[in-house]
Amino acid sequence: MAVMTKAGDWKSYQRVLLPPVKNLHQLHVYREHGGYETLKKVLTEMEPQDVTAEMKRSSLRGRGGAGFPTGLKWSFMPPVKPDVPRYLCCNADESEPGTFKDRQLREYNPHVLFEGSLVAGDGMSLKACYLYVRGEYADWITHMQKELANAYDSKLVGKNMLGTKHNMDIIIHKGAGAYICGEETSLMESLEGKRAYPRIKPPFPAQSGIWKCPTTINNVETLACAPLILGRGADWFASIGAEKNPGPLLYGISGHVNRPGVYEYPTGMLITDLLEIAGGMRGGKKLKALIPGGASVPVLRADMIEGVTMDIESLREAGSMLGTAGMLFLDEDTDMVAFLRRVAHFYHHESCGQCTPCREGTGWMENLITRIDDGEGNLRDLDLLLDLCDQMEGRTVCALADAAAWPVRNTIKRFREDFERRCRPAVWAVNA
Amino acid sequence: MAEFIRNPVVELPDPNPEAHFSEEDLVFTEDEKSRITDWVNQYPTSDGAVMWTLWLAQEKFGFLPPEVLQLVATELSLPYAQVYGVATFYTQYYKEKKGQIVFDVCTCFSCQFCGGYDILAYLEEKLDVKRGHTSACGRYTLQEVECLGACGSAPMMQVDNGPYMHNLTPEKIDTVLASLEAGQSLPFVSITLPQDEDEMGGNRRTDADAEERYLTPPRPRQTQ
Repeated sequence: MAVMTKAGDWKSYQRVLLPPVKNLHQLHVYREHGGYETLKKVLTEMEPQDVTAEMKRSSLRGRGGAGFPTGLKWSFMPPVKPDVPRYLCCNADESEPGTFKDRQLREYNPHVLFEGSLVAGDGMSLKACYLYVRGEYADWITHMQKELANAYDSKLVGKNMLGTKHNMDIIIHKGAGAYICGEETSLMESLEGKRAYPRIKPPFPAQSGIWKCPTTINNVETLACAPLILGRGADWFASIGAEKNPGPLLYGISGHVNRPGVYEYPTGMLITDLLEIAGGMRGGKKLKALIPGGASVPVLRADMIEGVTMDIESLREAGSMLGTAGMLFLDEDTDMVAFLRRVAHFYHHESCGQCTPCREGTGWMENLITRIDDGEGNLRDLDLLLDLCDQMEGRTVCALADAAAWPVRNTIKRFREDFERRCRPAVWAVNA
Repeated sequence: MAEFIRNPVVELPDPNPEAHFSEEDLVFTEDEKSRITDWVNQYPTSDGAVMWTLWLAQEKFGFLPPEVLQLVATELSLPYAQVYGVATFYTQYYKEKKGQIVFDVCTCFSCQFCGGYDILAYLEEKLDVKRGHTSACGRYTLQEVECLGACGSAPMMQVDNGPYMHNLTPEKIDTVLASLEAGQSLPFVSITLPQDEDEMGGNRRTDADAEERYLTPPRPRQTQ
């Protein structure tokens, strides 16, 4: 069967999220290139319901990992009540290992994010947008605060934006280092000044979010797509990339490749094409494994990526997920046991401690894998690990336990020989 | 956890800890108070401002012992328990005294397989301090941290919760240490996108130091 990319003519693709413009992060350059024109159009010409309808028509799916249709999420907001404020949270926590696209987007094009938040604010009649940025990105917070202050000075944000009667604030919130804050309900707890323990859903954020008010949470890249969709039209957006998961996508490529970094291409790129773009494997080595979308998604063996494209449908068929499109390429010398040990350590460190299956399970997972990595494991430990995964999945408030279990389950399943070789033999040879 | 099973003792915090700061030190200046008021005004309740205020307190005092947490709680009219809960939940708030300069070396898997552990070992040797500890002179603290979101420029580290140091090599660490010893502050480094390198001949920002090198050094050992 012929291998087909869903990205169309990607070689002549013109970047839109990070267009090749010098100093685009500065407000005057951004405005010279048509910045905030979409906001003007939305505020003066469009009705809120048209904004949401246009977002729905574009088939944009969230870029934060879960891939939920954005327009549908926006339409979940309840009808406006005059005395109840409504909020937007922009999830800029980005702590998924292997993901670094949003940091680059915020550095090079912060105004598209501000414009996207304001457009969303008009579509859903919001009072304010809280930008939750992880504490490690201190330099980028300063950078964004500077640009945001410029936008406030130019009357683009705040009271009577662009001379209209619309008001909306953008507030930057600095986190302090917790992976769990990337989960939407725990992000809201953190914003409210509490320990970031995830909440039980329902009620969903659209009914009861921050300070019990209706809230929508979107990823940075998702919000950055909103001005493009409303400026150029939903049809234009839907025509880019894979049919069921269209649009521009930031691929964060890392690992043993010659040119790692963030690349913007349409969705639905062939994995093999992306590897070629990133300069191929370092030192001419062979590919062993690929993590296509951050730590939580199942790892793919090199023989499983043939003909697979980077979109939700294709990766699901291949046995993995798109996640955040933070791709980690690993070469033939990679020790998968050491990899899994590090992943387990990560989840053990980052489990918030609210639910027992996750708090205890991630710890035992790390202990078992450490034992195997140290050469003291038994073959039965592998099955014990798989059983542990069963005990964790779906038994906790949030999805962190599932996210910890999937890589363990799939790495053992797909690289079982590597693990068995490190374990003590189950049957000892009889010395005749 | 294995340690806990061997020795199942829970150490409760000291109910009457010795104070690190005197009462005269434990005040916010008028300028700091106005910053706190600005933060409080950004949220419907003063609870929201607790994270920003803890950052301010950490900047001012270096770390967050109980008396500083009490100061924050009083300033925001919150219960002490809530501020304590927040401060102990997040890893970037320091509960005990750290060195003057803190190195956070990323060893999460992208960095792990590009030599993050070698960078950590090199720093251990160079600073004569074990990971997770502060050097005897009290100048440096070395920590192993989870993904810092710069996987494309692995291995990397963060200095003092501030600037990122990308594409580390032993030589680069020597340069960083030398400039820190000379009392210089480290610049913000902007990583060039590979596509910008092709289409624009380099970094798009002209107001930041740009890092245009993409090739991280050949990978050394892979196990921990």
